Amino acid sequence: MALYETVFIARQDLAAEDIDALSNKLEKIVTEGNGKVVSKEYWGLRNLSYKVKKNSRGHYILLKIDSDYAAVAELKRVIGYNEDIIRSLTFKVEAHVDESPLFVSASAKDYKAGKVSAKKEPTKTDLVLDQVQFEA
Amino acid sequence: MVAKVAKKNNKTSPNHNSENDSEEGFVKVSLVNQSVFIRKKKTCPLRDIPLVEIDYKNLKLLNKFISERGKIIPSRITNVSMKKQKALATAIKRARHLSLISPINKDTTQN
Repeated sequence: MALYETVFIARQDLAAEDIDALSNKLEKIVTEGNGKVVSKEYWGLRNLSYKVKKNSRGHYILLKIDSDYAAVAELKRVIGYNEDIIRSLTFKVEAHVDESPLFVSASAKDYKAGKVSAKKEPTKTDLVLDQVQFEA
Repeated sequence: MVAKVAKKNNKTSPNHNSENDSEEGFVKVSLVNQSVFIRKKKTCPLRDIPLVEIDYKNLKLLNKFISERGKIIPSRITNVSMKKQKALATAIKRARHLSLISPINKDTTQN
């Protein structure tokens, strides 16, 4: 068993239910291959920094996976021909981080119910970064 | 004429490791040329940040290390350690693929 992270961008015109259905469908593929999805993150509808397949915005979903490669390979194959997914990235990681800086909600449904307005406290990393300056 | 003057290390820079004790302990003082050239040793700006934090999701960090044009700034300028520069490069490339940061910025070409 190894740890993987999969991020995919879903088309912007999908409804919240569709996104959850899509991520549940992908989770099922992993669990059927004797793996498990440790946690899911929904990053909201973000502006893409460049157009991907004629889309300028997209829903970002992150899956943290603990599984053998066989299940991950199947996941990648399914993502490859799914037309709702415009971009994806899968890679191995050493450890899963609890909550990423981009985290908005656990699923797309939660996002719609109550909008996250509370500003996150700056982390230790942010404070160090504010000090960083270059001469050039 | 060049004389080597011993200088206590712990007083000037307590943070330094004692790796290069023989080099660090002395400051070259030229008696002929009075202008002594002493340069502060630059350290890695990410020394307080663990390697795990250098991630494609941490956009605030990545944006510090890319130029206005969207290029990765070389470690020769930023003085990031080799290990962390490697991690940075991977993280930036992943973020570019996921369209989180732009690989190019055409706006600045007008200036």
